[in-house]
Amino acid sequence: MDEMKFYELSEIYKNPPHFKKIENPTYSYEGFSPSCGDNFTVYLKVNDKKIEDASFFGYGCVVSTISLSKLCDYIIGKNIDILNEIDLAKIEALVGIDQINPSRIKCATLGIDSFKKAVTNKKEPKN
Amino acid sequence: MNGLDVGKLREDFPILKKKINGKELIYFDNAATTQKPTQVIDGIKYFYENLNANPLRSIHTLAEKSTKAYIDAKEKIAKFINADSPDEIIFTKNTTESINLVSFSLRFKPGDRVATTMMEHHSNILPWLRLKPYGINVDLVDTDENLELDYSYYERLPDDIKLVTLTHESNVSGTINDVEKVVKLTHEKGALVLIDGAQSVPHMKVDVKKIDCDFLAFSGHKMLGPMGIGVLYIKGGIAEKMNPFLTGGEMIKSVRLDNVIYADPPALFEAGTQNVEGAYGLGLAVDYLSKIGMDNIEAHEKELTEYALKKMSSLDNVEVYSGKSRNFGAIISFEVKGLHPHDVAYLLDREGIAVRSGFHCAQPFIEQKLKQHGTARASFYLYNTHEEIDRFIEALKTMNKKRS
Ligand SMILES: Cc1ncc(COP(=O)(O)O)c(C=O)c1O
Repeated sequence: MDEMKFYELSEIYKNPPHFKKIENPTYSYEGFSPSCGDNFTVYLKVNDKKIEDASFFGYGCVVSTISLSKLCDYIIGKNIDILNEIDLAKIEALVGIDQINPSRIKCATLGIDSFKKAVTNKKEPKN
Repeated sequence: MNGLDVGKLREDFPILKKKINGKELIYFDNAATTQKPTQVIDGIKYFYENLNANPLRSIHTLAEKSTKAYIDAKEKIAKFINADSPDEIIFTKNTTESINLVSFSLRFKPGDRVATTMMEHHSNILPWLRLKPYGINVDLVDTDENLELDYSYYERLPDDIKLVTLTHESNVSGTINDVEKVVKLTHEKGALVLIDGAQSVPHMKVDVKKIDCDFLAFSGHKMLGPMGIGVLYIKGGIAEKMNPFLTGGEMIKSVRLDNVIYADPPALFEAGTQNVEGAYGLGLAVDYLSKIGMDNIEAHEKELTEYALKKMSSLDNVEVYSGKSRNFGAIISFEVKGLHPHDVAYLLDREGIAVRSGFHCAQPFIEQKLKQHGTARASFYLYNTHEEIDRFIEALKTMNKKRS
């Protein structure tokens, strides 16, 4: 990612689409990245396997925030199974960057991982 | 000015000549790990070309050379921290392993209490929380608005206190704690003190006799030495009352299946083939630091840090979290308003400037005390310069103001 692209994304970062809570979501999950401190709750409203609404709320860097915002854009209106088809390459395409730096991959995938965990209702191990 | 010829000593660090993203590297991530001088890099090559064998076991000439390299390194390190004897020096992987060694080997009984603090690295919190299921109580000493420890805790230590553990210098705020005072108060209560010296030993004269601590843990890689070698100092007389840590080769006197006799410390804590290359390299790093002089290094870093803090506090888009305590080292945690720390680190990296971002393995301190989701952190060492800070300030000045 070059600096121009970063500044373009950081404009969206100031007010990203789908940054909101959804009341009574079908699924939700609080995703947390322990090394960064990124912390987002994701919400899905699903009706008969169709994603009627998707959103996210919390705090994170440009990469995690824009990835989530673009992801919501992409999945709304689609079948819930679409989540299983989304990988890093897809996120890179959605965000419009060629190749994410290895150190930022976790930022880019925090969103999709959280959506997947929301649906399967997997809890993080706690002690 | 101070007694450091920074221009000259920078010549010893080949990596500092590197270009990063087309810009001259400015390495401000020294709290994470430091760069290595040629004296250490070439020394490790020398070790493998001239001294390599399994130490302490075989009796051939090379094994003796390897053993001598290992023992000499212990002597150098003992002298560096003013320990009485090389037998008080245990080699480990790093600070993390050193602290864990104490947590596994000190003989705790249910009802004992350990006091750590809110400003610790995870490696000085988790080894103690781990003991909770065994009936060990764990206190977390609080910090105040200046990010200083609440020393009143140590003035009224609970009767069941067994071990007090604290960092000498915070790796987030740079706060330097009054460890001598804590040791004095703790010893009056008959308990032991462990000092996490990961951020202090590389940057100032640390004298275990003056501090009078029972344990001191630090990492070679944060003081110009190689990765994978760390130190645990155990004051004479204390190791004898501890259990073994890892078990296996070299930590025993005799193994009969019905009767195992363990070795005396320090061998008791050094099971298996040791990292002799690392020990040798750390010895060379200590030589290098001693030659420059820890007082000179400390004075240089102090000057740099004050210079940086003054410049940073004049920037209206930057908030600084360090420098509030009475005594602090060369670590500056900060925020650029409206930007996530990772994005700050990314933008600085585009300018060739390496800083750390995130929780710095101190999530409780950052979340509960700084009330942040992370910070960006610049940390200096002997080879950093005023010019580098000027370039850093220029990069910060325009950040998040460009093209918006
Ligand atoms: C204060 C402090 N303690 C402990 C550690 C852990 O050091 P290591 O990762 O070398 O075990 C660090 C380094 O990150 C530190 O800054």
